[in-house]
Amino acid sequence: MTAADPSAPSTSPRPVDGEGKISLTLHVNGREEHLRARPHHTLLEVLRNELHLTGAREGCGVGMCGACTVLLDGRPISGCLLPAALAEGHELTTIEGLEGPNGELHPIQEAYVEHTGFQCSYCTPGFILTTKALLEERPDVSRDEAKAYLAGNLCRCGSYVKILDSVMDARDRLRGG
Amino acid sequence: MAAAAAPMRVPGMLDANLRVRGRVPYAMDLNVVGMLHAKLLRSPYAHARIVSVDASRARALSGVRAVLTGADLAERDDIYPYYGPIFRDQAALAMDKVRFAGDPVAAVAADDADIAQAALELIDVEYEELPAVFDVDAALAAGAPIVHDEPPRLGQTFADIIVRAEADTNICNHFKLRKGDVERAFAEADHVFENEFTSPPVQHVPMETHNCVAWIDAGIINVTTATQMPFAVRASLAEIFRVSQAKVRITTPTLGGGYGAKTYTKVEPIAALLAQAAGRPVRIHLTREEEFVTITKHGVKIRMKTGVTNDARIVARQSTCWFNTGAYADIGPRLIKNGGYATGGPHDIPNVWVDSYAVYTNLPPAGAFRGYGVSQAAWAYETQMDMIAAQLGWDPLEFRMKNLLEDGQAVMTGEDMFDAHFKELLGSAAERIGWDSAEQPQRTGSKVRAKGLACIIKGTVTPSTSTAAAKLNEDGSLQILSSAVEMGQGAETALSVLAAEGLDLRLDQVSISRPDTDVTPYDQGTSSSRNTYSMGTAVRMAVGDIRTQLLELAAAELEASPDDLELVAGRVQPRGVPDKSIAYGDLVRGSRSGNLLANGVYASKGGLDPETGQGIGSVHWHQAAAAVEVEVDLDTGKIDLLKYHAGVYAGRIVNPVQAELQTEGNIAFGLGQALFEEMIFDGGQLQNGNLGDYMIASMEDMPKEISLGILEHIEANDIHGIGETSLPPAMPAIGNAVYRATGVRITDLPITPEKVLRGLRARAAQESAE
Repeated sequence: MTAADPSAPSTSPRPVDGEGKISLTLHVNGREEHLRARPHHTLLEVLRNELHLTGAREGCGVGMCGACTVLLDGRPISGCLLPAALAEGHELTTIEGLEGPNGELHPIQEAYVEHTGFQCSYCTPGFILTTKALLEERPDVSRDEAKAYLAGNLCRCGSYVKILDSVMDARDRLRGG
Repeated sequence: MAAAAAPMRVPGMLDANLRVRGRVPYAMDLNVVGMLHAKLLRSPYAHARIVSVDASRARALSGVRAVLTGADLAERDDIYPYYGPIFRDQAALAMDKVRFAGDPVAAVAADDADIAQAALELIDVEYEELPAVFDVDAALAAGAPIVHDEPPRLGQTFADIIVRAEADTNICNHFKLRKGDVERAFAEADHVFENEFTSPPVQHVPMETHNCVAWIDAGIINVTTATQMPFAVRASLAEIFRVSQAKVRITTPTLGGGYGAKTYTKVEPIAALLAQAAGRPVRIHLTREEEFVTITKHGVKIRMKTGVTNDARIVARQSTCWFNTGAYADIGPRLIKNGGYATGGPHDIPNVWVDSYAVYTNLPPAGAFRGYGVSQAAWAYETQMDMIAAQLGWDPLEFRMKNLLEDGQAVMTGEDMFDAHFKELLGSAAERIGWDSAEQPQRTGSKVRAKGLACIIKGTVTPSTSTAAAKLNEDGSLQILSSAVEMGQGAETALSVLAAEGLDLRLDQVSISRPDTDVTPYDQGTSSSRNTYSMGTAVRMAVGDIRTQLLELAAAELEASPDDLELVAGRVQPRGVPDKSIAYGDLVRGSRSGNLLANGVYASKGGLDPETGQGIGSVHWHQAAAAVEVEVDLDTGKIDLLKYHAGVYAGRIVNPVQAELQTEGNIAFGLGQALFEEMIFDGGQLQNGNLGDYMIASMEDMPKEISLGILEHIEANDIHGIGETSLPPAMPAIGNAVYRATGVRITDLPITPEKVLRGLRARAAQESAE
């Protein structure tokens, strides 16, 4: 489709301010957030730089490592790949949104604590959010299935054995086992 | 002594709750008011003269606050813009020429990262490309282009190395080891084997890339940086800015991984120079692509000659190691010592001769990497052990057992081995995977299974220094001031345990600082698997001093001899008389000192003779073994790891969970280097410098069954570092298993499916020719 295509839907670009930024409204962890960002800014950049939610972290910048994982309508996505504007109208969950109202740990977080499913923990928020999506999708997931599902999250410290232990324990906790 | 009757056990990490919330702050999470963002313009050429740099258009861009080029730095005499732990051969920005593709030539600080990036594109650099060298053979050939044609700028160096830079060559340093008489031993040996082994450069890939924030405040140069060595960075910046070390303050939060990448100075000089130029705080945060060209593991070629007798005794070994140290020396001149002597292996070999070279090339600089040269050495000797065994029809396990060091035998650096556990480690590893020398490879369809073994020795940096301070507060709580860097290995937890048990306190009564060179005492660095042992010793010394002070204060109060008192749960009491106990806090208040203060200084002795490499190579020797069962698909060459046993000697295990995590981490690290990790260069250009093209181990790459044998020996009253120890055996154990499965002997890492298939075809061709 080219710009000259008469059948193209009208694209009315949003007004850009003096800094080249547009207005955005994001729904993050149950709250509506109004902010300004440049059109090319990724969801990860906006979460970190504008909303100061620093649990999502850049690891590779190309969607390969999973350290920037956030949930978009419950599904794990790479925050480093998604232009922030495309996240409008979706429910976003970051690691900061997993805690209870009084800071209680989510059962998945409890499981990661119990098994020490981390070392430097840079990748941990991404793993925990991917685990959440996994267990919502497949509450009875097997260890091997979990391994395959989580293979898109990289942990250079190599804490994989205990991460997997954490995931299996989280499954049991959420099943009420 | 009541305290530490039984070692305290702690589950996991003390700040686990913060870590699973994503709320542990890294350096990159720090925001300083008015902070600018920096970007670096890097050379596209591997070797070129910088003819001119025109940054005028970048300087004019709105939002740009500072632009620096090499010429800007060169013309200033108030700074000395060079760094490097041994040679000051790396400039904060390239001056006269660039020496690798990725060498920074200009830097911009701007209001935001977008502006800084846009400004880079407005900088015009004219280069005159120069002939370049990428591998050690080319670098050492007659008439080779010289990477550093300027006279070497030696800084204050290390007690444990001799620098032998050879003028007008690319040899950056040469380490020698001479033990016994190898020539005679080779002449007398029944069999002599000579082979060549190579390991490629790989990258550490810490999930958190190098980053820091620098600002200058009231004449103090402040840098919050992701480093394993805050004091090395401080010394470096003091030298660069020509100020005293007291005018530089380095603070270090927790790291998102290090693995050696974050040793010594990296991005801090340019950040601080920009902060000075802009008069504002500056953040620099490398992209993953930049991280790949910031520091690497050394690619190495090792030629190894080993002589054995008919009764399977190793009598001589001669190794020549060429470590490709890249464009800047970093710690390469020292690493070649460890990598060089390590080729002697964990065996009782009476005659050893080593020449180990660090060679400059036009690749990104190579430096410390988990294993510190020992991985490359172990890949050579543990592969060759199996080659010898195969050739002479010996069982690889028995051959090793016959030669592994025992207490009282001389290690390669000449000192007597003590607290040796090699045989126990290797023996139990073999047992755990069901090693049987008579076992034939198990074939099912196109897949064939077999097992492999390896056993290694590794030193820890010697001599070395760690210091700590302890403060006992008037509520009886204990603060430890230490510059240990928490990078995921659990340093803070381990040190808290050692501190708490020294005074019989609960862990929640103990706090441990993060490094702040204005406040926390000196530490050489968190590296070399040394922290729990070295800093742990310093902490225990400081706490021991506090303990003595408490006993003396209580003795005066209770009119008793300190020898008749004991420390129980935060109180001092006459032995067995809790009714008369006094709380620590009451003793502190009674002393009117505000707090009890004490220092601990750990400084190990040792070092090697520069001509013979004999002396004290390590205060104690780290020991590990691995046993693995692989399954190789003969149609595709694909290698799966079925079983893996990692055995490592720990002395005392301070934190069992963390010990397991580090050992499991070494398996992940090791299998990646065994099977697929390799930085691929073409004409000095990195071809796979991103995580789309460069694979690191994922969960699915892990061996299907893993067992750990973390050997504890409390009676030895010693703590052995295990951060790196179980890594080096991984690669040769896997290679040896692949050989037993396929008959294909790979001597150049990594062991890719392509190499296996090529080997299988070559074997098939050879067999049909016979």
